[in-house]
Formats: sequence, structure tokens, C-alpha cells
Amino acid sequence: MDAFLQWWETFPITRLFLSFEVMSKALPIILKAFPVSIAFGVFSFVFGIPLGLGLAFMKMSRSRLVRWPATFYVDVVRGTPLFLQILIVYFGLTLLPFYRDMVVANIWMKQPFFLGIDFTVWLRGLFVLSFNSSAYMAEIFRAGIQSIPRGQMEAARSLGMTVPQSMFYVIIPQTIRRILPTLMSEFILLFKDTALLAAVGVAEMTLRAREITATLYNQSSYILAAAFYLLITIPLGRFVAGLENHLAESEGGGAQNQREPLVPEPVDAQHVIPHTKPMPKNYYR
Amino acid sequence: MSTVTTSTGEAIVRIKGLKKSFGSLDVLKGVDLEIHKGEVVVILGPSGSGKSTLLRCVNRLEEATGGEIWFEDSEITDHKTDINKMREHIGMVFQQFNLFPHLTVTGNVMLAQRKVLGRAKDEAKRIAVEQLERVGLGDKVDNYPAQLSGGQQQRVAIARALAMDPHLMLFDEATSALDPELVRGVLDVMSELAEAGMTMIVVTHEMGFAREAAHRVVFMDDGVIVEEGTPEEVFDNPQNERTKDFLGHIS
Repeated sequence: MDAFLQWWETFPITRLFLSFEVMSKALPIILKAFPVSIAFGVFSFVFGIPLGLGLAFMKMSRSRLVRWPATFYVDVVRGTPLFLQILIVYFGLTLLPFYRDMVVANIWMKQPFFLGIDFTVWLRGLFVLSFNSSAYMAEIFRAGIQSIPRGQMEAARSLGMTVPQSMFYVIIPQTIRRILPTLMSEFILLFKDTALLAAVGVAEMTLRAREITATLYNQSSYILAAAFYLLITIPLGRFVAGLENHLAESEGGGAQNQREPLVPEPVDAQHVIPHTKPMPKNYYR
Repeated sequence: MSTVTTSTGEAIVRIKGLKKSFGSLDVLKGVDLEIHKGEVVVILGPSGSGKSTLLRCVNRLEEATGGEIWFEDSEITDHKTDINKMREHIGMVFQQFNLFPHLTVTGNVMLAQRKVLGRAKDEAKRIAVEQLERVGLGDKVDNYPAQLSGGQQQRVAIARALAMDPHLMLFDEATSALDPELVRGVLDVMSELAEAGMTMIVVTHEMGFAREAAHRVVFMDDGVIVEEGTPEEVFDNPQNERTKDFLGHIS
């Protein structure tokens, strides 16, 4: 066994990138940072959902005054690098007087809060990640809601239901089914993006791996960290693919009445209102 | 029943000078029509004549651009009118059924009863089953819409509307999306409803149904009513050239 390990370390590639010795040293450190990466991914995803839903409804508003700020926000957030957003929020917030006053008044915020990380670090990290993903989710929600045939809303309204009732009991339940795969893909992207927090010193997996690399002049800890990312992303990716297939099989990718052959919409002059297009695949990124 | 002419009761819907345009396209160019209680009015006409738009204006799925529509004692076209309150009493059946695919058949019929009329769960369920039995689907109560044929789905849609105890039913080409062999079942339900005294406005291409069930036939073309009368008058002795032309093409 020792002979094999010695032989393994004789090649530059295996020694520098796949060294068992370095990996075994790195393992406990990366393992400790693994929950940090997961927590940043999961919490910012959870906080991003209501924010994204709010933005989606704003974007669908009839009032320009409501629609315009949401559109601007989504465009700006999706049109700039997340890395820049992290730098701006992480260091920018600390320059704001009210933020400083808040931290000075609440000393506990500077103490380890969860998984050994300060509250202020959680606050800033989750802030930027959840606001970032909310912009992407807004588009997913909006496209999902608009992909429900308008007849569903009309049927609900014709029964005397209000717009909020129709949304809550008829449109949203169908939307959730439809966007679930896309939403989970968004989570995968978000989880990988937590690595960018390394740049501002958040002790997640990538930062820890970099510290080990810098100390030992060896890349193997990066490879180990990559394996931990894959541990989440591959099974989840498989699951999303399965879910997509399942939805495609059971309902033709949607929730319309599929048993009957689909009848094309009549081209009567009274049907000039354009029908919404189904959500294009990978539209959001 | 086609011997009866118009007034079987007081006017339940009064349409006065109704206009509707989509942008620069004028779809309705001044329609006057009264529907009486218990009356079955069938609206015929070529595609694009404005039949569906007229129907959709009655429960304000489309906003009229001019004229008035009165339903019972309220003006539908008045924005101060609580349209949701009005719609409780106006059932509508769509060409594409528009059942809620995430709910069972019973769930479809129960939803608005619960959320709009505020009926208790047990009562809503009892009425749902009752209405589903009425349209011949007593054995499908636990199925999902996707498990039913188009004809069955459309009958569920009728039951869903009937469960609200409507005073008026609107049928917007209810059989146009169905395979020919499924049309009969839906028309039978509609005929039964007509015989039971329901007030109905029916947009259809089913001439047989119009002849048998209608008290009055209204022929529309190019956004106006060009002819109306009993089925006999309109079918056997049409006065207007466009009506003659249309009926000639059909038969």
C-alpha cells in the first residue's frame, strides 16, 4: 500500500492535484465547511422565493409605476456579475452609518452565530445571494404563471372568484408543478455560486480549500472541494431530469387537458388576444 | 317547445347598443338584445361575427367599449357594480372546458361553492355529487380531468357552473372542441337544462340543437344582429341575404 502511494506521488499531475496525503489532511477542514456552503445555498434560496414571487407579481402589474422598478431591478441584478454584487454589498454595507451603529449597538453580531460564523457575515452573505437569486426566480415565476392557459383564470373568474382567489386556488398550484424542475435548477446554480463568497472571506468550502492550497502548494484540496459540490449537484440534477420526464409524460410538460387531442385555437377575429407562450427551456440563464 | 316565441318571462338580460373593439378592430358594432327568464337563445353566425365576444361581454370577461348590459337589476357594464357578485349568478361553459387540472372532478365543482358562496365542505360536496350525477358522471367523482374524455370534461364544466345555482347560463361553443361522437352527450345535457327552464344564451354551430331547443335564434354577422326569430322563421324562411347565404353553406 505504501509502495502504491509513493508511486502515485511520483507523477506531477497526481501529486499536485490528486494527492491522497493532502486530501486526507484537507478532508476534516472541508467537511467542516461543507454545512456552511449548504446553509448559504439553502437559506438564500428560501429567502429568495418570496422576494422573487413579489417581483414576479410586480412585473405583471398593469401599472407602469409598479412594473418599471421591478423590471429595472431584475435587469440590473441579472445583468451584472454576482461577484461584483458580493463585493459591493459585503464592503459597501459596512460603510453605511446605520449599519455601523447597528453592529456597535449589538456586539453579539460580531460573535460566532451559526456554524462558527459571525451574524454580520451571514447577514451580508444571505442578503446578496437571496436578492440575487430573487431576480432569477422572478423570471421563473412570471414565466410559469403566464404559461398557464388564460382560460384557467377566465373559468375561475366566471365562477365569481376574485383575482387573488383565482391566483391562490387555481393558478399558483398549477404553476408550482410546472416550475419545480426549473426552480431546482436555480438552486443548483445558487449553491455553486456560494463559492464566490470565498472572495470576501466567508469560511465556506472554496475558501478553506484555497487556504490549504496556499499553505501546502498543492491543488488537491480544490479537487476534494469540487467532489463535495458534486455530492449535492449531481443527485439533485438527476432528480430534476427525472422530474422533468415525469411531468412531460404525465401531462405533456404542463397541466392542460391532454387526454383529448389538442384542438387548435380558433382564428376568429374575437380571439385577437395573444396567447402566452410556454416557458422556454433554460430561459432564465 | 319551439312553438313559444319570445316572452316566457321578464327580461333577465338587456343589452343596449353594445359596442366592443380590440384596438382598431370593431368586433361589436351596436347590439341590442333582450333575454327573458326561462328563454333559450341560440346565437348563430360565421366566424368573426362577434358571437363569442357578445357572450363574453355579458359576464364582463370582455369589457364593453360602448353601450350597456343589464343583468336583472344591475348594470354589468357599470364599473361600480361588483362583477364577482354578478358572476355568481351567471354560469359559463367554455369551448376548451377549462377544468382545473390539479383538482379532482368533485374538487372542480366544489371550489367556487366553497370560496365564493361560502358553503360548508359537506354541503358543497353533496351538491357537487348531485350535479355530477345530473350530468351523468356519478361514477367519475374521484377522477382527475385528464382521465376523462372531452365530452365528459365538458359535462363536468356544466356541473361546475350549475352548482352555483345560476340564473343564467352562457355556452360559448361548448361542443366545438369535441370529437363528433362526444357532442351528443353534451347536447343532451344542454337540452335537459333547457327543458328544466334554465335561461340560456348559446353560441353554437349545432343547427340541430338550435332547431330543437331554442326559443329564439339570433343571427349575427359583422358585429351586428342581422336577423332574429323563432327557429322556424330563421331556418325555414330566412329574410336576410347573409342569413340565407350562411344557412345555405351549412346545409
